[in-house]
Amino acid sequence: MTEIAQIKPDRLVAVREMFGIDSELQVPAFSEREDHVPEIDPAYRFNPDVTLAILAGFMRDRRVMVQGLHGTGKSTHIEQVAARLNWPCVRVNLDGHISRLDLVGKDTIVIRDGKQVTEFQEGIVPWALQRPVALIFDEYDAGRPDVMFVIQRILERDGKFTLLDQNRVIRPNRHFRLFATSNTVGLGNLNGLYHGTQMLNHAQIDRWNIVATLNFLPRDEEIAIIQARVPGIRERSMLESMVSLAELTRNGFAAGDLSTLMSPRTLITWAENCEIFGDPGQAFRLSFLNKCDEAEHPIIGEYFQRCFDRELDAPDVQPPHAMNL
Amino acid sequence: MATIQQQARRQQRVEELCGAAIRALTGDPELHMRAHGLYRGQKRVPLYAPHLRTDPGADDIGGHRGASDGMALRLLHSDAELHRSLSPEEPVQRLIFELLEQLRVESLAPADKPGMAGNLERRFVSWSLQYHHAGLTGSELGILLYTLAQVCWARLNARRVVEETEDLIEATRAGIVPLIGHELAALKRNRDDQAGFAQAALTIARQVHGWIEDAGAGQSEAADDDAADAADGALKFLLDFDQQGDAGVASVISGRSKVFADAAAGYRIFSTRYDRESGAAELVRPALLGELRTRLDRLVADQGVNVRRVARRLAAMFAQPKRDGWLFGEEEGYIDGRRLTQLVSSPDERRLFRQELFQPRPHTLFSLLIDCSGSMKAHIESVAVLVDVLARALQQAGVASEVLGFTTGAWNGGRVQRDWIAAGRPKHPGRLNELSYLVYKDAETSWRRARPSIAALLKPDLFREGVDGEAVDWACARMLGRSDTRRVLVVISDGCPMDAATNLANDQFYLDNHLKEVVARHERQGEVEIYGLGVGLDLSPYYRRRLSLDLARGVDNRVFDEIVGLLRRSRPA
Repeated sequence: MTEIAQIKPDRLVAVREMFGIDSELQVPAFSEREDHVPEIDPAYRFNPDVTLAILAGFMRDRRVMVQGLHGTGKSTHIEQVAARLNWPCVRVNLDGHISRLDLVGKDTIVIRDGKQVTEFQEGIVPWALQRPVALIFDEYDAGRPDVMFVIQRILERDGKFTLLDQNRVIRPNRHFRLFATSNTVGLGNLNGLYHGTQMLNHAQIDRWNIVATLNFLPRDEEIAIIQARVPGIRERSMLESMVSLAELTRNGFAAGDLSTLMSPRTLITWAENCEIFGDPGQAFRLSFLNKCDEAEHPIIGEYFQRCFDRELDAPDVQPPHAMNL
Repeated sequence: MATIQQQARRQQRVEELCGAAIRALTGDPELHMRAHGLYRGQKRVPLYAPHLRTDPGADDIGGHRGASDGMALRLLHSDAELHRSLSPEEPVQRLIFELLEQLRVESLAPADKPGMAGNLERRFVSWSLQYHHAGLTGSELGILLYTLAQVCWARLNARRVVEETEDLIEATRAGIVPLIGHELAALKRNRDDQAGFAQAALTIARQVHGWIEDAGAGQSEAADDDAADAADGALKFLLDFDQQGDAGVASVISGRSKVFADAAAGYRIFSTRYDRESGAAELVRPALLGELRTRLDRLVADQGVNVRRVARRLAAMFAQPKRDGWLFGEEEGYIDGRRLTQLVSSPDERRLFRQELFQPRPHTLFSLLIDCSGSMKAHIESVAVLVDVLARALQQAGVASEVLGFTTGAWNGGRVQRDWIAAGRPKHPGRLNELSYLVYKDAETSWRRARPSIAALLKPDLFREGVDGEAVDWACARMLGRSDTRRVLVVISDGCPMDAATNLANDQFYLDNHLKEVVARHERQGEVEIYGLGVGLDLSPYYRRRLSLDLARGVDNRVFDEIVGLLRRSRPA
């Protein structure tokens, strides 16, 4: 326990070499890997803009929030950057029931020398604050805004944290970092995709120094990601068609024709399922079509026809002339 | 044999699918298909290439797909402004120019969407054969245009010309290709450059026009070849650029009103003095209401509609989870202070927590606006059943509903027209009739209490004429007065707005254009979702989101499935 509190970044790495981004920046990094450092995924592709934003967070102690649609790999992005820097990293999933006690700490009963005693157990925030740890709040917009005020002060740089129960003031470790990911920009569930998100308090949103947006990736990057993840698919033309179909669903979603869209995660799942089932149509039905509203199946069938030049022959996707009207 | 109504509905379904494909391909949510044409918002997108015109009777889904893919590519790869500025005036030249530009963008079909390229090729081939089989290749001009289209298409796409007609065009082809060989090469070279391509295309168009003029001068009047005449007549259709889209099966006939467009102040109303709004039940004797209700109940029972199912589907569509109270006696959650004593008295009992309870609650107002014009009398039994079942299902689903009707207080203008005549018949008086708004059920009244009032729909002598535009405004104003978060207005109608006196005093499409303007305005504002249910016909000129109902087979579960499907398909993004 004491070990992690002692270590600190002891070398600088060049962003150009580590992440392949055209930049002169040098980022502090740890030379030894600690238990909390995430595993490196060698196939991971970094988005230059978001990577730079996250690196700024590590380098200059900025509070960075990554916002974007689901399945675009927001949390993974932060984790993979941390993994490359050997920076210890802790992920906390927020939900509507996370309370102040969970975050700050509470009195618990422990057995000491055979006797029951109450002892204050630090919550995740004071624990992380005293260590060189990157704390990631996942689904930040699912946390209840009244509870999230707990972190109001540590959002400021050098903001000290007061433990009311203990009359103790915690000074943050110099290498503590704070990140958050969210689906919305704190304005609540506007497009009907994200039930259960909260309207955030804008006094708090305002304290995040950097808000990076990770929506859909450029086409070539997306193809490269699938290629890296599912090396079994060799045909470039099939990958192109798959990504085109995903783009059509996103456009359809933006136009209000569909109520779901294909995230990069769905695309990867589809590619993986293609390997299992051997047939892109079959795999598509199982990985995406069945998640969609039945009324939208014909529209998706049209998209599929455009991209693969054949009918998506699911039982209910028939060309309209065969439909019993 | 499909009836006209079934054809219209099939056509509408195809258009919806094609519209969705175009929106996804171009990424422009404003585009949609209506009445066989592509519209951006309320304006028709000018696309005149002949093979983009589909015929709902003859073309299958493949043909429609090809045409819609062609439209999407045109929007993606062609600058409409540049195209318009270069476009020649003369009809034959313009047709050639339009055709070549369309062929250019179609040759740019993306490689990652092989289906698109396939659709386009199949469309072009099937259009070619249709053109040929219709006898259009019989005339001098026809075969010239046909050969030109074949040659350019083959050249741009590096394909062979359509096999069936290869021999037919051979002579013409051998005649023209040497003369325009240079330009053909330029076409191929400039596929990615609209301006460069247009120069070559314009040269070709001028040359072809020149040959036609020469041929026309050389040909004596005596050569009266009937077949050629017929073919030229059909070609005229292709050369007509200003048509509003051929009014296809069972669509509303719509047009442009000069009076409406020219009036600076917009829509005018001569007098609102005699307009009335009344509860429908007040206009019918109570004893008769009882009888009508019995009749309606019998009609509803005969249809055997599964009301609970409709209600469940509506509830699923409109409801959103809302925090509503607590669940007590849970094993985890928040501590329930009232149960702490229980913990002391029986420590083994762990159920002393409470949890938040989320329940789906609709916060929606659903308004049905019924066109009570004279022509609706024929359908009113079916409509009454539809409305009654919907109101009941909405009640079960917990959605507030209103049933409203609109008609006029008199035929042919009534007292308003007499006032107008007394005032010396001023020009363009605007709307010239007494309006009568009927409230069959308002949002505060439950379906049970409104039962007799809804039955008043079956009293047909209340039905006269209809001024739809003002009625939609009235219904929207009523809805905006309430605090619901989602407002859905469904207009049930069987045709265009109709008021004889107004049409005579202004012009034929005065009320029609006002309705379009009102619906477009509300769609833009987005506070009320407006849907049009056409009774046996397509209301596409007025309503972007619409459905034509086939009530001939009765109001069964299928009809309600379609209505729910419409609402689900076009839910707001």
